[in-house]
Formats: sequence, C-alpha cells, structure tokens
Amino acid sequence: MNATGDASMWRLLANNLPQHADQVALIDAKRQASYAQVTDEAGLVAGWLAAKGIQPGDRVIVHLRKGIDEVTAMFGAWKIGAVVVNVNHQWTPAQLSYVAHDCRARAAILGANVLKGLAADPLPLSLEHLLVQGRVAALPDSATLWEAVSPSAAIEHVPDAGDLAAIIYTSGSTGKPKGVMLSHRNIRMGAISVSEYLGLAQDDRLLSVLPYSFDAGLNQLTDAFLMGATVIHQPVSMPSEVVRMAADHQATTIAGVPPLWNQVVRYLADSGTALPALRRVTNTGGKIPPNILQMMPQVFPGVDIYLMYGLTEAFRSTYLPPAKFAAKMGSIGRGIPNAQIFVVKHGEGVAGPGEQGELVHGGPLVSLGYWERPELTAEKIRVLPELRDHLGDAPVVCSGDLVRVDDDGDLWFVSRMDDMIKTQGFRLSPTEVEDILSQSGIVTDVVAFGVDDDDAGQVVHVAACLIGDAETPALLAHCRRAMAHYMVPRHIHAWQGAMPRTASGKLDRPNIIAATKAAHQKDAT
Amino acid sequence: MSMTAEDLIRFIRDELNVEDDIDAETELFSTGVLDSVAMMNIIGFVEEKAEIEVRPADVTLENFDTCKRIVDYARDQA
Repeated sequence: MNATGDASMWRLLANNLPQHADQVALIDAKRQASYAQVTDEAGLVAGWLAAKGIQPGDRVIVHLRKGIDEVTAMFGAWKIGAVVVNVNHQWTPAQLSYVAHDCRARAAILGANVLKGLAADPLPLSLEHLLVQGRVAALPDSATLWEAVSPSAAIEHVPDAGDLAAIIYTSGSTGKPKGVMLSHRNIRMGAISVSEYLGLAQDDRLLSVLPYSFDAGLNQLTDAFLMGATVIHQPVSMPSEVVRMAADHQATTIAGVPPLWNQVVRYLADSGTALPALRRVTNTGGKIPPNILQMMPQVFPGVDIYLMYGLTEAFRSTYLPPAKFAAKMGSIGRGIPNAQIFVVKHGEGVAGPGEQGELVHGGPLVSLGYWERPELTAEKIRVLPELRDHLGDAPVVCSGDLVRVDDDGDLWFVSRMDDMIKTQGFRLSPTEVEDILSQSGIVTDVVAFGVDDDDAGQVVHVAACLIGDAETPALLAHCRRAMAHYMVPRHIHAWQGAMPRTASGKLDRPNIIAATKAAHQKDAT
Repeated sequence: MSMTAEDLIRFIRDELNVEDDIDAETELFSTGVLDSVAMMNIIGFVEEKAEIEVRPADVTLENFDTCKRIVDYARDQA
C-alpha cells in the first residue's frame, strides 16, 4: 500500500513493483526508464554508498541536472536511509561548498562540470566520497565515475516515518541559506494530499520543469511515484522548449512558478500551439500577474488551473480549486487535505470573514525545523495561544504572510508582514500596487516598496521592467487613473534587464529594493 | 548596429558572471550553462545591441542555444 504517510521514501518508488514494473516512470530527452529500471539504477547508487560506509542519517548531496540520474541518486540514498540534500543545479560552487559544510555531508553525487569550480571553493574534508556523472579529465582520488559503479548489495534501511529524509536549503533573501528538515512522513503526506486534490491517476504524465531541490518540484516527483504515473523531465526552462516537450510527450500536467507562466502563457498566445493532452496546470511560488492570469483560460482551454501556495517549512499548504478560478482569480484558496491552516490575529484569535491575519500551518506537513538552528526553528515553528482551542499544544509554522479571509473562507495573499507600506495613515500592501501596475500592460516584473518620508511616514516607490519602448511617464499616468491618491508611486524606477530571482523563481525583493534605493540616492546627490 | 559572437561571449562572461570557457559553438541552454533568468538578460542584450525585437515564439534552442546561432538569428531579423 503506497497511500500512507508511515513508510519510507524508498517504498514510494519500490512499492510500484511488481505491478507497475514496466510502466514508464521517467522520461529524459535522450532516454526513458521504467519503474523496474529506476529501482535497479537507484539500487546501484545505494550499493556504492553502502560500500563507502555511508550510514543511515548521513547526509548525501545530490547536485545534478534534472534527469533520470538525479532521481536514481536521490532514491539510492533513501534506500540505505541516508538524508538527501539536493542542491540546485544552478547554484554556484561557493553555495554548494557552503551547504556541504553546513550539513556536514559525507558523500556527494555531482556532475563533472562542477569539479573545476570547486578548486576555488573546496568541499569540506568530512566529505570523503564523490560520485561523478559525465566526462572528466582528471578524477580526484576520492571520486568514482558514475559509469564505473559496479553492482554491490545494499540492504534496505527501514526508517521511522518521522526520521529525517531530506534537507531543502532555501536561499533566504537575507543571510546564508538555511536547511529545512523534512521527514519521510512530511514528504509522503505531501504526495498523498496533493495527488488527492489534483485527482492524479496512473495514466497521468507530469511535465517537470521545477527543480527537485525545491519543495514543489520534489512534490511533483513524489505525487507521480505514489500513483505509478510518469514524469517527463525538461531541464531547459525556455518557454518554447517547455511547450515542445509537453506536446511531444502528451503531458497531462504542467507545474510552474510565476516567471515560467509569464513566459509560457505569452509564448502560447503568440504561437497558438495547442496542448490537447493537457488536463491541468498548477502554479506555486508567488502570484501570477493579473494580466497573465486573465490570459490563462484562453491559452489553456478546458484545462483545470490550480493556484497553490506552500511554505518550505510546511511543505505544501493551500490551493484554490479550479472551479473557483474564474470567480476568484488570484486567491490561494484553502488548506490542502491533511493541512490545518488558520489565519491568526496575534493577541486576539482566529480571523473571520473580511479580516486579515498571519497564515499559520499545523498538522503532519509541518517540517522538523531548520538544520542545527534551534533558535530560528523556535521562532518560526511554535505553539500559539490563539489556537489552543483548535490545536492544543501542537506547534504551527508561522508564515510571515499576511492574508485576507473572504466571505466564503477563501484566502487572499496581502503581503509579507514586514513589507507593508505605511503611508499617510494608510496601511498599503505592495501587492495591491503591483497588481495595478501590471494591468497597465506595459510592464513585466514590478516591485513596490515603502521609502521613509518626513511628511507621509513612507511614500511608495516602484521598480519596474518596462516592455519595449514604454516609458515611466506613461506608467505613472496609468497609476494616476487607476489608483487611490495615496497609492500613486512617488517615483518609478525603470529597471534595466531582468530582475534577480531566488533559486525557487521568486523575485529577489530585498536585493531589488536595495539596488533601487541605492541608485535613487545616487541620483539625488 | 551589428552584434558579433564576441560581443555575446563578453556579455555572458562579464555581465552574467559565467566562469565556464565559452566559445561561439558552446551550447548554453541545452547543457544548463545558463538558466531562464540569464535567458531574459540575453534577450534584452540582443534586442538592444542588434536593434531587433525578439518574439516569444522565436526563443527556441534552434535560435538561441549557441552564440553563433543567436548572431545568425539577429542578422536574419535585422
């Protein structure tokens, strides 16, 4: 039985045998692998790790381009009870080295192209064993080539479902990346919950573009394995290639984040490509701009559109059912199955219809906290007196996200709690300003923020990527027409090029705001 | 104004901070040297330098995977 939280990650794969042995599990551009093959190849990795003396609980870094080998590397580590630390393939050698030190990894499975960069940012000495995929000129003594791994026995380790299974490093906008610890149960419950509300079945074919180092990306893979379905890998996030891969392999599901949808929706509107096999698309990792949301039903006719919201610290949290998309475009909906979601007015209680508060998340998806950061964990995951009647002494993840509850009980993201702009006595959400700017149709990415002002408390500034020849006066004219007076930006800064993003695809707001403020001050002097 | 493969290589090295050895034939996106954010930056650079407008449907591996292909594409559009 696969549909229980109380089993291991390895069982998520292995329980597809024998009945789904010949079903295609994974598709790469150049090859595909059945469940039997993936299980065998993961067994090879497990054998190598076991032969090197890797023990249950040891951390194993996986740093590979999206593909079948990446999946077999992760499940190989899980077979022997090791903890998978998947480091985003796009991260630099310096970031990889930081993570390897921080989690005290004992082994790493990585691409040959990474080795050169590690000369300047060496891996820690505790990391004794490297498995290297790809061609390499000179192999370090401690390394084994992927092709040269010989079969050796690995005994399946049966962990407690609450044991640590994976650490997901989030590139926090401030400070060094921190590792979120997920148990086998967390990840399995995430797969059970999400595949239930998406209505996934064995004949589904999920296009995977999002990295497995990111909770939503990993969740797609685990959903598919839970159902014995098929995952199609697309490591290239170019919209034309994403669409081509989806068409060639009859993808039924595409999961994306706002920058990807921004590009894919525009591409589909421009090219007119139809994706007849597609059943559903899902978004997570932030809000899709309103103009793109409005285009989605046209470029995805008859396709269910799911808007989702998740915190890495609680894996996955809420979703808006597709039937409500037309009426509530932009809402994050309600808690997913098995998640206990509350909106808390601190010091008062639970927010009701029409009220705002912090979104908090309790239940079996709540992670084990941050790797070796007990103070930070205690700050983020704690018992709230406001919820004593609902949850007793069970802790919740405090999201730091301010949300509004509508009359039906559906939730709407307002802003990060510490991003709220206080201007002329009004409390203003940057998202509200950004949505109106997007509706102008002449911007792609926009970030609104508050700048201290002697008279108003704060005034609104905006950094915006303008489309084509558009200029800031036109955008400002749009704001004056469409906004309440206190919302109208005092300054609009035209951002050159693309805005920086975090590894999970969210706009890197703190950096964008800091750079814009610095440029503004320079201009002012 | 014309854009050369050298212009692009310099942009990728200096502005996008890519440390790998890149020549006009290096596959940039299909091999994972560059990501989607870098792609947006390259499109912006090409539009400015070659004075063309890049349509979303033209952003394919065929047109954009190597510096040489990008230069050829930009020349055909000009």
